[in-house]
Amino acid sequence: MRSYQSVIILKPDLDETQVDQAITGIEDIIKNQGGTFLKVEKWGKKRLAYKVRKNRFGYYLNLYHTCENTHVAAMEEKFRLFDPIIKYLVVRLEEREIERVLAVKAAEAEAEEESSDEATKGGETTKAGEESKSDDE
Amino acid sequence: MSTFKKRSFFSQKICRFCAEKTEFIEFHDIKTLKPLISERGKIIPSRISGNCAKHQRQLTKAIKKARNIALLPFAVEY
Repeated sequence: MRSYQSVIILKPDLDETQVDQAITGIEDIIKNQGGTFLKVEKWGKKRLAYKVRKNRFGYYLNLYHTCENTHVAAMEEKFRLFDPIIKYLVVRLEEREIERVLAVKAAEAEAEEESSDEATKGGETTKAGEESKSDDE
Repeated sequence: MSTFKKRSFFSQKICRFCAEKTEFIEFHDIKTLKPLISERGKIIPSRISGNCAKHQRQLTKAIKKARNIALLPFAVEY
């Protein structure tokens, strides 16, 4: 069992429910190959650097998951045949890299909690930042 | 004269990744990768950008992955 990062581009004309359906479809594909989701990120609709299947835009998904190492080719084949996907990239992650990614995720979650707790303090800190900038000038 | 011009464009000759102490260059972090490709979409050599060899190796791999998934262009058409 190894860890992988998959960046998947979905068709640009899907709405939110269709995107969620696509995610469950992808989850099924990965589960059938003996893997599990570790982390899912929606990057949203972005402009592509070049045309992919005549599309100028695409809906980006970033997945961290595990998969049986012998089944990766089968998984990619399923991705290729899955209708909403227009392009995908599967990258293997070393043990320490996936640990780092998950650690970053945990840290971000903590930071969000803190920021929501200190919503009242937020205004003060931005003011302080502006002052320090003006000092630099 | 020419070296002076290059230096003025990328003023510092220190590896920007060493300066920020980044261990891994993420291929989906376009904000850091974008300044390190030319207008045409080519990778800027370390002799100009001033990156160290270790990070330049990571950087080329990151840029090539980013190109594969349409985050960065292979070539910019005029």
